[in-house]
Amino acid sequence: MTPSPVGQETVRVDGRLKVTGTAQYSGDYPAANMSHAYLVTSTIARGTVSHIDTAAALDAPGVLRVYTAGDTRLSLYPVVAQFRSLVESYIPLSDTAVRFHGQAIAMVVAESFEQARDAAALVTVTYDEQTPRASFADEPREPAGPALDGSPSSVQHLAPGVNSIDEALDASEVVVEAEYGQQTQHQIGMEPHSVLAVWDGDQVTVYSGAQIPTVHSLLLSQRLGVLPTQVRLVGRYVGGGFGSRVILWSDAPLAAAAARELGRPVKLTFTREQMFTLVGHRQQASQHVRLGASRGGVLEAISHRTDSVMPVIGGFNLTPAHATSDTFYSTPNLHIEVRSVRLDMPLSRAMRAPNEAAGAFALETAMDELAVATGVDPVELRLRNYATVSPSTGLPWSSKHLDECYRDGARRFGWSDRSATPRARVDGQWLYGTGMATAAYPAGVHPVSVRIRLLDDDTAVVSTATSDLGTGGWTMVAVVGADALGIPVGRVTPEIGDSALPSGAPAVGSSATHSTVPVVVAAARNTIAALKELAVTHSGSPWHGLNAEGLRWEEGRLHGGEHSMTFGELLTELGSRGVDATADSPGGAPEEYEYNSFGAHFCEVRVNRFTGETRVTRFTTVADAGRVINARAARSQIVGGVVFGIGHALLEHNPIEPATGRLAASTLADYLVPVNADIPDIDVHLLDRPDPHLTGPLGDEGEEVGTRSLGARGLGEIGTVGSAAAVGNAVFNATGTRIRRLPITPDKLL
Amino acid sequence: MRPYTFARARSVRQALANAGEGTAFLAGGTTLVDLMKLEVMSPEHVVDINRLPLGGIRHDRDGLHIGALERMSDVAADDTVRRHYPVIAQALELSASGQLRNMASIGGNLLQRTRCGYFRDVSTPCNKREPGSGCSALTGFNRMHAILGTSDACVATHASDLAVALVALGAEVRLTSGRGDRAVPLETFYTLPGGTPEVENVLRPGELVTGVTVPRSAWAAHSTYLKIRDRQSYEFALSSAAVALETRGRTIKQARIAVGGMGTRPWRLTSVERALAGKPATADTYESAVRRAADGASTLEHNEFKPALLRRTLVRALTALQEQA
Repeated sequence: MTPSPVGQETVRVDGRLKVTGTAQYSGDYPAANMSHAYLVTSTIARGTVSHIDTAAALDAPGVLRVYTAGDTRLSLYPVVAQFRSLVESYIPLSDTAVRFHGQAIAMVVAESFEQARDAAALVTVTYDEQTPRASFADEPREPAGPALDGSPSSVQHLAPGVNSIDEALDASEVVVEAEYGQQTQHQIGMEPHSVLAVWDGDQVTVYSGAQIPTVHSLLLSQRLGVLPTQVRLVGRYVGGGFGSRVILWSDAPLAAAAARELGRPVKLTFTREQMFTLVGHRQQASQHVRLGASRGGVLEAISHRTDSVMPVIGGFNLTPAHATSDTFYSTPNLHIEVRSVRLDMPLSRAMRAPNEAAGAFALETAMDELAVATGVDPVELRLRNYATVSPSTGLPWSSKHLDECYRDGARRFGWSDRSATPRARVDGQWLYGTGMATAAYPAGVHPVSVRIRLLDDDTAVVSTATSDLGTGGWTMVAVVGADALGIPVGRVTPEIGDSALPSGAPAVGSSATHSTVPVVVAAARNTIAALKELAVTHSGSPWHGLNAEGLRWEEGRLHGGEHSMTFGELLTELGSRGVDATADSPGGAPEEYEYNSFGAHFCEVRVNRFTGETRVTRFTTVADAGRVINARAARSQIVGGVVFGIGHALLEHNPIEPATGRLAASTLADYLVPVNADIPDIDVHLLDRPDPHLTGPLGDEGEEVGTRSLGARGLGEIGTVGSAAAVGNAVFNATGTRIRRLPITPDKLL
Repeated sequence: MRPYTFARARSVRQALANAGEGTAFLAGGTTLVDLMKLEVMSPEHVVDINRLPLGGIRHDRDGLHIGALERMSDVAADDTVRRHYPVIAQALELSASGQLRNMASIGGNLLQRTRCGYFRDVSTPCNKREPGSGCSALTGFNRMHAILGTSDACVATHASDLAVALVALGAEVRLTSGRGDRAVPLETFYTLPGGTPEVENVLRPGELVTGVTVPRSAWAAHSTYLKIRDRQSYEFALSSAAVALETRGRTIKQARIAVGGMGTRPWRLTSVERALAGKPATADTYESAVRRAADGASTLEHNEFKPALLRRTLVRALTALQEQA
């Protein structure tokens, strides 16, 4: 019997293509007669373009076009209202307004990339400049709009008889209160945004990495003023998303519009510098957290107020307490408030664990401060406040084994050896300390369609327009398809990253895997049924005229009576190339539960007692993310998430210059992320407990092969939530100094 | 990148004949090509000098001679350098990345330009890049900027680690031009920005760096380089210290000290050297010797921590050297 590949260490099916450089990323696609576009960006943060001198650029060798702010030749259009949040809030190059420093204000198209770049440097711009609103400290605080899911960003739940959160805090035996700050952070994948647009008549194919290929394709059709059927988006391999490819930015519309106007394929690639202003960021925030508790550390009240930047031009509303302070712990009184600080900055956009990474840093640092204030061990403190129902909705979780994460993690890490007293462990020049934190992340379920086609060569093609951002999506589809059909992974051909395929799961919010898995299983069921139907209806079939229910599918073979054939043999016999069927899921999950993945982080750092550098020496994460589909890819996701968290804690920040509205860093030499030397071996353990309620379209149909839902739950972001706090808490344990404004750089520990 | 002419020189004489105002010599290219792409540097002529006979690492009675075209990684791996001049090997190994060290030359390393973000962004004013345009760093984000040797016109930090080690050891840089050969102490090779930050050294137009000579000394073998930075690798110094000591028993006879990440050029600290000479190698000596190390420093909004970091870097480097002994 073919062993199930689910939960095994499956090597990426796209691994060889990637390490040999043969996987085509969007910028790698060739096209006959291709031209190259290069953007000119604004050097002021607020005002209007009064004049653009393009004469020198137009005279430069190889230049075909120079489009400038207000150009009407590009013919770009607004999208319909329901999708406005998924595009930029203005049409690129459509007017002369300058909304932020680094906005596209001209685009040069030339025969070669170098010619376009050189000509772009010859474009001179004059502005009518206004003073930008760029000071986080000085601009007023305003009530914030709704959170991403449409819920109000400020909420309050008070116990009966309690009149205000302040009253609840005043009545608490122990109160900790602090302000936690962090600066602008950037997604910045290794692959810069690059788009090739090729028109064939009135049809355009756009090669572009996208986290939601079908939605991008639809949005692009609206931007271009054409029918959805006229646009196909291909983005099979993507060099990192982290939220920077969720919405439709200006790259695809500008390339496609220029290609249409010019009558030639156009490739537009953002430079590394442009990536810092043109594809979103996580905005600066200051979080004020107050925890009220008994002397034994049992929470009476959580108050979590955030001031976060909301760019004047719009973007993602950062609501850090959502899915953190309203989820992590049991508390009778909860107060969440968000205020916006409107600045003339580039559009913000969800960055990996968008709210939760920031929120968990604040909440989990405050919990560590509460542990210090009460003298309760940090793990024990969290167990004392363990939530069995959501503190905001009162609903139980579909599946929650967070307590096991704490206990397993503590044992693997050796937490019991820890001294709660700071500066207790010194080795030469180095102070050692340990800290821990909780992780949780919501598990939303998206609509998904999957098609499976069985072919006459005994292979199966599993098609769904989800996207693999480097996460392992290709392999996930292959593993689940192989399991559902009972055939080896090597006989499954996944197809993803193409809007022409059945609409797939958005690769956002740690949801692609658990949204896709049950639908692949359902599609396998439907496809097997279609094959059986063919077997009993086709006159050339040995089972012709029998009842399909008399046929049995097992490991890629049909059995019935004295006959047994593989599906490939049957299809060959019948002269058929293949048979296919589709399954569709509307998304969502039973409403009587909350859905979250969970985890616990444990970190050891050393801090130099002379010069204050913090280096992470050990890290353990235990995660409860449902059934594991691919152990290797799952572990990699957690490791990558923890690296994000370490960068969040120690390195990543991009201050904005109050006088100019310019972000200080625009390269990876100035905006630091961890390098290998900063990262120890990260110990990851996954509990592998199937979630019984994430069944998608399958419902509770039992455990037969081909009908089981597997019970996977997302884990792409669980590594990032809370890991920065674990690092900071370890720094406190090492040094006795609490750093509340990230990043924890050496100068703050002198 | 602006159009330029390109020539490959086959001899030093040919290279010099091709050189003058507007000429840039190309060695490893790790700074030059980078800055040409950013249009921070736009030479009219580029002369490739990689085929010139300017390699070689030689150790003789006078000291250590390193050819200008030696690659950083080769010098760092050299046994003689590692044994007799460890501060040089360590400074090189803590520089840049492995890939860059495989390409970058010793001569080019000494001439590398500052990492000031405003210098590298042609859309912002910068007196070093465009004299008279103003200094954006004074009011901008200046955490990495210099506190020693600064002026109202420029606060850009000198970026080389190697140069800090070489200044501590009293190295000379060898130069050649149509007017002949000369040797200049590295410490005075670099100039302070003053009102002309576009001038960074005493190199004349068309003059070529041919090598470096590090004198023999009683302290070079007992030396170390310490680099403090936000991340563990591939990052420029918040602060660094090159420390070389001649000791007799537990007594410091002579000290040579220079620091990086602090100055507009590699910064020799003769006052600290004097304060250490003749003293016992103890923590008290170090603490007291570095007390005035940052005298004359001028801090900015975001780098007020640097004087303290400078002192602590020195104490840590001295302590580490003592522990090695």
